[in-house]
Amino acid sequence: MADMAELTATRDEARVRPLAEPWRRRMIPWLLLLPAFAVMLYSFVLPMLVFLQYSVFSFERGRLIEDFTFKTYVKFLTDPFYHTIILDTVKMAAITTICSAAIGYPLAYALWRVNSPRLKRWLAVIIFSPILVSVVVRSYGWTVLLSDQGPVNWFLQSMMGFSEPVKLVFNLTGVVISLTHVFLPFVVFPIFSTMTRLDPTLREASMDLGAGWWTTFRRVTFPQTLPGLLAGMQICFTLALGAFVTPSLLGGGRVLVLPLQVFTATTDINWPLAAVGGMTLLVLAMITVVLSNRLLRYSEV
Amino acid sequence: MQRRKAPFPHPRYLALGAFAVLGVLYVVAPLAVVVLNSFSSVAYNVFPPEGFSLRWYQNLFQQSDFYDAAVASVLLALAATTVAMIVGSMAAYSIVRYRRSWADIVKAALLSPIVLPHIVLGVAVFMFFIRIGMYGTYFSLVVTHVLVVLPFVIAVLTAALANYDWTLQEASMDLGAGPLRTFFKVTMPQISVSMTVSALFAFVTSFDQVETTLFLVRAGDNTLPIEMFLYLQKWQDPTIAALSSVLIAAAFMIVAVLSLLTRNKDLPATLLQQAKENKE
Repeated sequence: MADMAELTATRDEARVRPLAEPWRRRMIPWLLLLPAFAVMLYSFVLPMLVFLQYSVFSFERGRLIEDFTFKTYVKFLTDPFYHTIILDTVKMAAITTICSAAIGYPLAYALWRVNSPRLKRWLAVIIFSPILVSVVVRSYGWTVLLSDQGPVNWFLQSMMGFSEPVKLVFNLTGVVISLTHVFLPFVVFPIFSTMTRLDPTLREASMDLGAGWWTTFRRVTFPQTLPGLLAGMQICFTLALGAFVTPSLLGGGRVLVLPLQVFTATTDINWPLAAVGGMTLLVLAMITVVLSNRLLRYSEV
Repeated sequence: MQRRKAPFPHPRYLALGAFAVLGVLYVVAPLAVVVLNSFSSVAYNVFPPEGFSLRWYQNLFQQSDFYDAAVASVLLALAATTVAMIVGSMAAYSIVRYRRSWADIVKAALLSPIVLPHIVLGVAVFMFFIRIGMYGTYFSLVVTHVLVVLPFVIAVLTAALANYDWTLQEASMDLGAGPLRTFFKVTMPQISVSMTVSALFAFVTSFDQVETTLFLVRAGDNTLPIEMFLYLQKWQDPTIAALSSVLIAAAFMIVAVLSLLTRNKDLPATLLQQAKENKE
């Protein structure tokens, strides 16, 4: 009984103590957070509310009508033209994600298995340093590389015996090749970091028990690195959905995706249409995050 | 283990090595071709190059627009990085130091802009700033850039502070140092690698920002990536290749300096892991 009393006493004390702190002390955490909240409010929360508001306005005969209507949403979601844009956006992001994973996973594996520390360091620098170079520069590099008279077509024609240049630029192929390059570091990094946290004894145990290299990889290594792979794919997919520079430089006007539609609608002063396109993009990004977090939870069990 | 010491590596290691070489080639190729193209003697893209010249560099250094844009970009990125580091360390400190019940919610809220595609953010701030009459001001531009880099800074710094030994801070305070002195003299040196990495990333992200800046700058005050982007919509001559080569050289220098600085330290392996977690 005495213990019990003591226990409630300490619990009461614990509950009372924060309240007993002077209010100025209690304000400190909030004061430290205040600038961050101010930034969030000024260029995120309020702008998004205004954005949401514009999405329920409508735009007719070149004029903005400030009413409350879902007209723009209905038009956007029933018009086959916009269906194509949404589908193309998802398709572009999906192909880019698959390509990035297909290149990124073996690359991360190679980076992990390299023995020499110097080689490992160089490989890591080469894979990750393109993040420091502007997307504009890298996309420009790909337009040069993939153009009809560029190095890739020169190689295909003089070495592989293609008779005419392959159209690699100003279409979806070029956009996907370039976007994969842009997002590759973001896929390699999470995969590599799950690999470095693997317990090497599990692999050795599997080999000792007679499993071959392929079985060990398939049954032991790969399932453990799946969370990293999924995280990388999620990052890649969400970034690819919102990609703007690469599709506009390498798409040559033929790859119409949501970010470009949002940009065009804004410059055409059709803000409700821009807002609805942007909301669609945001919803797609959020669905991706929710779905992949669910998958991630399954993969970690 | 013994198998790898064999005189001739197993075919699958050769295959992996070959894949790594191809991967490196893929990563390096667009940057290498830009540098190669900048020394071209003709205005169109052709491979193999027809001749060597420095005329595109001459042309580049005569264009004052690019120079002005580069200065504007550096100043903007410096301003955004400075503000984001101050605001971000204050927020991260508050979240980790005072582990209150709201810490997780506040952190999630502060990291939430990551999910937002930049183009959506750009259009939204454009509409908002026009409505409140703050469009075209430097203040709005800097705050928007701070917002873009802030989630990353907070993610890295909270991770760093979570691993920090807080008894050091208590010792410093007990010995009579004030809170600010303790932060700068005791806490900050302990998380210096994370501070450097996040400041560098903030600088580069702000410097390369296209989607948000595009809507916020008036014509004539363009930053470098915007200037390049608009130039590329009109022309494709190797002047851009020359400028890109200068930027690639700058990136090389950053990598060199960074690898010297972090030679004996482990880079925070949790960088992107954090970016992943905050999306939940």
